[in-house]
Amino acid sequence: MSSEEPKTQQKEKPVIELLIPLEKYLAAGVHIGTHICTKFMEPFVYRVRNDGLYILDVRKIDERIRIAAKFLSRYEPSKIAAVSVRRYGQVPVTKFCKYVGCKSFIGRFMPGTFTNPSLKWYFEPDIVVITDPRADSQALKEAAEIGIPIVALADTDNRIEFIDLVIPANNKGRKSLALIYWLLTRQILREKGVIPQDADLPEPPQEFEVKLRR
Amino acid sequence: MATKYSLAQANITLEESATMPVCSSCHRIIPPHEHGTAFPCPNCGQVIIVRCRKCRKLGVPYVCPNCGFKGP
Repeated sequence: MSSEEPKTQQKEKPVIELLIPLEKYLAAGVHIGTHICTKFMEPFVYRVRNDGLYILDVRKIDERIRIAAKFLSRYEPSKIAAVSVRRYGQVPVTKFCKYVGCKSFIGRFMPGTFTNPSLKWYFEPDIVVITDPRADSQALKEAAEIGIPIVALADTDNRIEFIDLVIPANNKGRKSLALIYWLLTRQILREKGVIPQDADLPEPPQEFEVKLRR
Repeated sequence: MATKYSLAQANITLEESATMPVCSSCHRIIPPHEHGTAFPCPNCGQVIIVRCRKCRKLGVPYVCPNCGFKGP
């Protein structure tokens, strides 16, 4: 019987090294989800805490960042659009665009930016990176309408309507967003060969964070 | 009409000569007016993944036939 096969014959998953140490992921709170979990995001959940908070799987986050970087590096940088309405995502998106060479859309997303060619600020991207599918719903809707692939950071409470590649992550935290965009930037530059495979960005992840006013 | 003549010469109909895009999730033919999308596999980049509007809206998973990557 197949169920009585010795354990040595069972396939063992290869151990993949994370992009950065696990402690850094946990310190930034990348794995922290919300009290709500949609059916779409269930495959990315690691466990549910006693207080009802869903925790994302860090290995899956790491794997998806690698895949997203590979995916984005196949497109021309000037044809990539990165969107963030959320305040804590604006600095990370700006820095990401500065290094990769793509176009950033921060703050209010003007309706018609992707769909109305008569507008001065009209832009026709080949791929869109979205920070929060709920907050950036206008960008998501317009990208879906023009039929371009969409990469999005999605938390446990997000729906994945029209998203073609999900990066499960905490998209609400200041440090979390900074670390995710820093890793994505570094991995894209490594894939493109701009920096060596073991090199880091000139700036640390803290520089991608929004500075708090006292 | 040059197109009609060449197709007739090759003994194929117009429907046979055109390959319609097929959704990677539900395997239905995507009509031209539908706002679907097509992109290379995010993992391997060897295969073009095509998704129809309905599957994108409902979040129906797709699998790459080359590398086995499961999205979205």
